[in-house]
Parts: sequence; structure tokens; C-alpha cells
Amino acid sequence: MADRAASEDLTEVQSNGNGAAREFVEEWRDVAYNCFSSGHKFCREVCPVMQVTRDERHTPTAFHANVVAMEKGHLSIEDVAEDYVHCTMCGACELRCPNTLFTGDFYRFRQRTVDVVKAARALAVKEGIHQKDWKRWAELTDRWGNEPVLGWTKETSGSKVRAWAAGLDIPTGGETVLFADCEAAFKRPSVPRAVALILREAGVEFGLMDQQWCCGGPMWETGYVEIAHKMAEHNMLDWRKTGTRRVICLDPHDYITIIENYPSLDASFDEFEIVLAVDEIAEQIRDGKLRLTTPVERTVTYHDPCRLNKRMGVWQSPREILRAIPGLTFVDVDHVTQWSYCSGAGSNLGVAKPELTAEISRRRVAKVRELDGVDTLVSACPWSERPLTEQGEAQGIEVYDIFELVAEAAGFEV
Amino acid sequence: MAVALLDSVVDELTAICGPDHVFTGRSATFNRARVPAPFPVHKWDEHVPSAVVLPTSAHQVSEVVKMANRHRIPVVPRAGATGLTDGAVPLRHGIVVDVKLMNQILDLDHENRTVTVGPGINMLKLNEELRKHGYIYPDNPASYPCSLVGGRIGTSGWSLIGARYGHTRDLVISFEIVLPTGEIVRVGDGGGRTVRKSSSGYQLKHLFMGHQGTLGIVTEATLELVPRPEAEFSAFFAYGDYMDAWRATGDLARSGVATLAGVVLFDEWKLAYLRRDDEAYIPQPESIKGVIACASYGNADEVRIGAKRLLRIGNASGGVYLGDEISQGDWASRHDRYATPQHGRTRDGQVALMSWHCEDASIPYSELPAVREEWHAIAAKLRERFDMFDDWGMFAYTNGAFKPWGDYLTEIDIGIWETRWDEETWAAWVDAKRELARVSIEHGGSISACHGSCREGEVDLVPAELGGGFEVMKTIKRGLDPNNIMNPGKYLLDQAYEEA
Repeated sequence: MADRAASEDLTEVQSNGNGAAREFVEEWRDVAYNCFSSGHKFCREVCPVMQVTRDERHTPTAFHANVVAMEKGHLSIEDVAEDYVHCTMCGACELRCPNTLFTGDFYRFRQRTVDVVKAARALAVKEGIHQKDWKRWAELTDRWGNEPVLGWTKETSGSKVRAWAAGLDIPTGGETVLFADCEAAFKRPSVPRAVALILREAGVEFGLMDQQWCCGGPMWETGYVEIAHKMAEHNMLDWRKTGTRRVICLDPHDYITIIENYPSLDASFDEFEIVLAVDEIAEQIRDGKLRLTTPVERTVTYHDPCRLNKRMGVWQSPREILRAIPGLTFVDVDHVTQWSYCSGAGSNLGVAKPELTAEISRRRVAKVRELDGVDTLVSACPWSERPLTEQGEAQGIEVYDIFELVAEAAGFEV
Repeated sequence: MAVALLDSVVDELTAICGPDHVFTGRSATFNRARVPAPFPVHKWDEHVPSAVVLPTSAHQVSEVVKMANRHRIPVVPRAGATGLTDGAVPLRHGIVVDVKLMNQILDLDHENRTVTVGPGINMLKLNEELRKHGYIYPDNPASYPCSLVGGRIGTSGWSLIGARYGHTRDLVISFEIVLPTGEIVRVGDGGGRTVRKSSSGYQLKHLFMGHQGTLGIVTEATLELVPRPEAEFSAFFAYGDYMDAWRATGDLARSGVATLAGVVLFDEWKLAYLRRDDEAYIPQPESIKGVIACASYGNADEVRIGAKRLLRIGNASGGVYLGDEISQGDWASRHDRYATPQHGRTRDGQVALMSWHCEDASIPYSELPAVREEWHAIAAKLRERFDMFDDWGMFAYTNGAFKPWGDYLTEIDIGIWETRWDEETWAAWVDAKRELARVSIEHGGSISACHGSCREGEVDLVPAELGGGFEVMKTIKRGLDPNNIMNPGKYLLDQAYEEA
């Protein structure tokens, strides 16, 4: 034992699992051992799910330990599939991990927990273990092209995905397109309308996709990888068909999905530039191309969407935008404190466990109420705005998308 | 593999805690078998509980314990499960009582300066609430972001700023505990929940501090509130010789500066390790063989004056002040200064994922140099035999509350490549632990300052360390837990029943 070469241990799989399970363990055990060997659990108290359930099965630590236990033959995907539902993929655990903090600076290392959860969910689907409503969600997304954000019976097809733009006379395709997320396009159309009006005001030329499908993000996140590939390939084909090179994403989920997942499907992906609308609009304001002159008399605080703040380190642009809105009183809560905040909406948790999403959101809105005089919570993520709005209504806090406020400050009604 | 409980027992648990708070599934039980202490992963299934409950009240805990006592089923309390000994590891399966849902702030008493909480609350989370009122609860271990109040009591924890504010035993004023027979009692210095000093009756608070779950389950605790300090001062000094650094550590600790919160001594192995592998560490030249960190907290004017004296002592002792960036930055990162797995190296320098094990004896100041030599020799022997252990160096921290000059929490950090455990290497490790413990006792110390000393190897020497006190422990254990249901197998306490 003592003299064995270092690599030998890592090729030894005691699990009797089948091909897919074995592949999963082989791919993820090193990552899992990174956590298992550390075992410090700094992730627990920042995890939005753990703050509610307090159940050790839902800790990021458990998500890694399970892989080790699977390797040793103690657990199987059947034992743990349901545990892995309890994650919004917010990324707080990865940031708070001592492995990230103390090897991150130099090696750019980041403990990969979100990816482990994604892989475990994909394995579950491969093994025929489904969460009922995730399966239904995936089937309808596959059938309609967009996610069933309006309920199980209201079709969200590719032909209706541009309905929000009625009367705006936006062309199809072109060098730059605005990618309007499913939730925004169908459920909160004021957001894409606001973005379109602001971009136009700033002189940005852009079109819409001919047939925009779901970005595929929730399919990757819930394990329906084949459908995700289909969506992504369709979207890239659509961009090429209309000569598009630049894609502006108004939703952080779309942005992270496209930059993280699309490149592996397409060798020429580099020909596209993917841009976040918050960055684009902050720049237009900075450069004086977008002038905000209509006062917005509100006292607001900002909700750092997890995929912007925790997953991609984008927290400055939205604050810059809010500080440029006249009349607005901005009570900021710093982005590190917000590592432990979440709306609970991420990775379709709200579809599988609506009561958990509601509780996470309730606690997030309660944090707003602790701030003196704040009447409005501003987010920059349409997915978060659904549960936050529901809880805001119950707690007397209005919830706005940042672009809705920018449009108002630019003199538009959306 | 876990022994399955009778269906009727599971039904009883469900009746007590509710169907959503009782688990018998594989992932629920496997994920409550281990703690970060070296864990025999090759024998994982020997430590799996039969059931897990997440109670929400002292009454539920009491009913679970009474039921377990009736049926003679082992009960193992579990709070954060971040301990570095195996208090929360179920050695005999049974029922794990996981208190994480009991994490509420129950009462904030501004007049008497106390906060009463459930055992499942974390100190960082508690302080997020307390800061709004200008207080802190200054129990500050390396596990500050993850350990929970219940576990701090169960292990009698140590705080990095304990020289100023005291350790867990000084900061917990009183608490409620469910005894192994199910009675709910409150223990403190005396009777009143917020009384800090009493001479009424036995001092039962201390009895239940550090019991490692063998005497009951804490269900509520009343804690000290401290004014949130206005100022922090930290200073790092470097020395060309370990003995000079050791002498200076003593000078600082004996300075009598009231705001002094702690002094930490790094030895040359630790410095070499940090130079080698810790990317966040700002390396000093090879000629540096000892570093000291000290810190103070309190009102700004007092900290400022105290800081001048600490700097004077550091300089007078031949130390080189390492500058503000290291002094402030390194101190600020102290909670994350756990060694990370990527820092492990095999003998030929290859990175191997190693877990961090930290031995934590209490050693008298005078003995630190000698213990250090003997401990490193033990670690070297282990590494020589098996290329899965790595010596990550030693720290010594002031250990006394308020009067920090006597003994030191003495820590050797050993990296262990845990995926390589087998019977032979595990046995060698257990032997090494016993050796480390033996050295501590021979030098007039104690096996553990804060983790507890109930793990394989070291535990064999607990009777030697405690002498007649261990006999008293057994008598108490038998008296309070007649059926040996509370965390059985820990601290050699089974002996209490063999003799009965």
C-alpha cells in the first residue's frame, strides 16, 4: 500500500455500478475528494437551502461525500437522487469553500459543487430516476421550444416568444440580437420591453432571433442534457442564419448557460460575443449615450442575483446603474454579505420544491424589511423576480427589475 | 452496516418528532456518520446510525431519549459535526439526534447582557444578528463559520481570542440539557439563567462542558454578550531562531495588556510548509525560523495604548515587525487558515489530496520547545513508513482565558491522504496518536485543549492523564446514564458498566 504509485488509487473503483454510474464516479471523485478531505463545511451556513432545511443531506459537503460513498459502494444514485434536488446552483458554497479561498487566488481554483450537482442530476435522468415536475417541464420545453413558464397548459412556443415586442418594430437578426429569456418573454414582458427601449434610446442597433428557443440552461441544470443540446444547437443555428455575431442577454441564467455550455458543442463558438445587458447598459450610461433624467422617487435595495454575483463576480455594473438613476435612494447591502442570500428560484427548484423556494424568498424579502425606509427591492434576474414578487406582496415590498427602473428613468412606460 | 430499528421504534420516533423529521434512509444515515477528523473511510459502514431525528424542541429531545433509554438504543447527539475528535460519530449505530433545526435566537436580554439560543445556531450567524445591537458573542474557533453552539459545549471549545474574552466555558453562562434518562435540567454556576458566578451547590456547568455527548443533549444555552469592539490591532513578528520566538511569545503573553486577545507562535516546520504550499501566505526569507502573531481588541483608546506596548515588546525581543499587510491580512484570514487538501505532498513532492488533522494538546509554556521536537519526530517516523502522511508544522496558541501566560494550545498539523487508509495504515496512525498523547502527558500537559480526547489511540491514555478523576467520571456516567445509551463507546466509559 505504502509504495503504490500516487495515481493507482484513483483508478480503483470498488463500486459495482453500471457504466453510467461508474463514469460519473470516475469523472467526479477527485473533485469530491477535494471537499471530503477538507470537510470543514464552511459552505453550510451560506447555503440558502440549508438555511431552511438544516438537513445534512442537502449540504454541499454531502453532495461531494455521496460521490466518495458511491465509489466505495455504500450509496447508489437511487439513494441520493432526491437529495440533489435541494440546490439552487447559486454557487455560494463554492465561494465560501476554504479550497477556493486558499488556492483560488494563485491557481484560479474553484471548488466545483454546482457541476457535481448537475452531473448527479444527469446521472439520475440517465438511470430513469425522474422528479415528476422536472420531467414534465423538460418534455414541454422540448415540445414547445420554450419553458412552460405560464403553467402546464399555456403553450410557450417559438412562434409566441416575440409577443412581448409587439409594436416595437424590432427587426429579425442582424449583427446584434437581444436574447429574451423564457421567463422574461412570457411571464414578465415588461423586462424585455424595457431593455429594448433602453438599448434603442442609447443608439444600439439590434434585432431579435428568428425563432428563439430556451437557452437550455434549466435542461442542463435538471439533468435533461439531450434536450439542452438540442436547444443550444438550434439557437446557434438561428444566430448563424441571420448573420448574428453578438448576443445581448438580459437574464443571467441565459448568459451563464451560453458561455459555460455552448462552447463545448461548437468548435466555432468563438465567433460569437455574448454580452450581459447590465454590463452593456452600465457602459452606455457611463459613456453618456443613455441619459437618465426622469426622477424615480423610491428607496431601493439591490438583490444580487446569484449567477451574476456568486457565479460570475458581476456586482458592480448593477450598482453603477442604480446610482445613476435620479431621485433614487439606494440602500446597498454589500455583495459579500449577499453570498448567503438567494431568491430560491435557481435551477428550477421552484418547480420541484415550490414550498422551499417560497421560504427562501420569504427570508430574502424579510432582510429587505430590516433596512430603514426601503420600499423597493430591485433585482436583475427575471427568475428571481417571480418568487420575490410573491413574497414582496405579502410583506409590503415592491419588486422591480433593474431595467424596468432604468426605462422609467429614461422616460419610458413599460 | 447499521442495525435496522424495529418498525415500532421508528413509529415512536415519528410520533415524537413528526414524519418530516425522522429518517432511516441510506443517504440520511451515511451522511451523519462522519466528522472532519480522520475518518476510517474503509470502514464507513461501521459508523452508520440506524435512524436520524431532527427535533425542534427540548420536549421532543427528551421524549426521544426516554424512548431510547426504555429500549436500550444508543443515542448520539450531533450539532455541526465539525469536530476534530469523533464525538458526533456513532460508534454503536443507534439514533442520531441532530439539533440543527434548533437554531433560533430565543431571547435577547439587553439589561443583563445575555442571549439565549438553541444549540443548532452558528456563531457567525448569531453575530450577524447581534451586530445590529452593538454586541458580539466572541466564541471564535477556526471553525467559526460552521461549528454550532451545541457542539461548542459538547467539546468545551477554545476561542482564538480567548485571552481577552474567554473560551466556550467562560462564555456560556448556563444551559439546558436533556439527561440520558430524559429529564430536562438547567445547569449553570448556580440556579439563575443569567447568573455568572454562584457558590450555590455543585458547579454543574463544568461537568457538562466537554462531555462529548456522553452525558446528554444540550437543548438551549444562555450566552454572554460583549460590546462589539471598536478596534482591532494585530502584529506579526519574525525571528531567526525558534527559541527567540518562543521567549518573545512568553514576553507578550505575560505583558498584562488587558486588550490582548491571543498570541500565536509558528515554528519553522510551519513556516516551511506555508512557504512551500500556501498561496495566500506572503513568504518570508529562509532565514526566518519563527513567527509570532498577536492581536488585541477593545475600545479604540485602550487598543491604541496596548498596541504600543505590544510593538515595544516585539521589537525588544529581537523580532522584526512584518508590516501591516501581513499583520492585518493574515490575521483577517485566520478562519480560513485551515490547510486545504491541495497542500499535501508525497515524499517526492507530488501533490496529493490530504485532509488536515490537528493534534491539540494543552502544554505548559516551559515545555513547548521539548514537545515540539518529540512531536515532529513522531510525525517524521510516520511519514517515513507510509507515504500518505505529511508534517504541516506546529502552532502554539495562548490557552488561558484572561491570564494567557500558563499553557498553550499546542497543535501539530498532519496531512493525511485519507483515500489510502487500510488496516495497517490506520493502526499506525492510531499508534502515532497515542504517542503524541503520551508526550503531552509526560510533559505535564493534557491530551486535548479543545477537541476532546476520546478518539482511538489517545483515549487509551485518558485514565493516565486524569488518574482518580477518571474513576469519578465513571461513577458519574453510571449514575446519570444507567443503561449506557448516551453516545456509548466514547472515552472508555464502557468500563463504568463492566465494574458495576
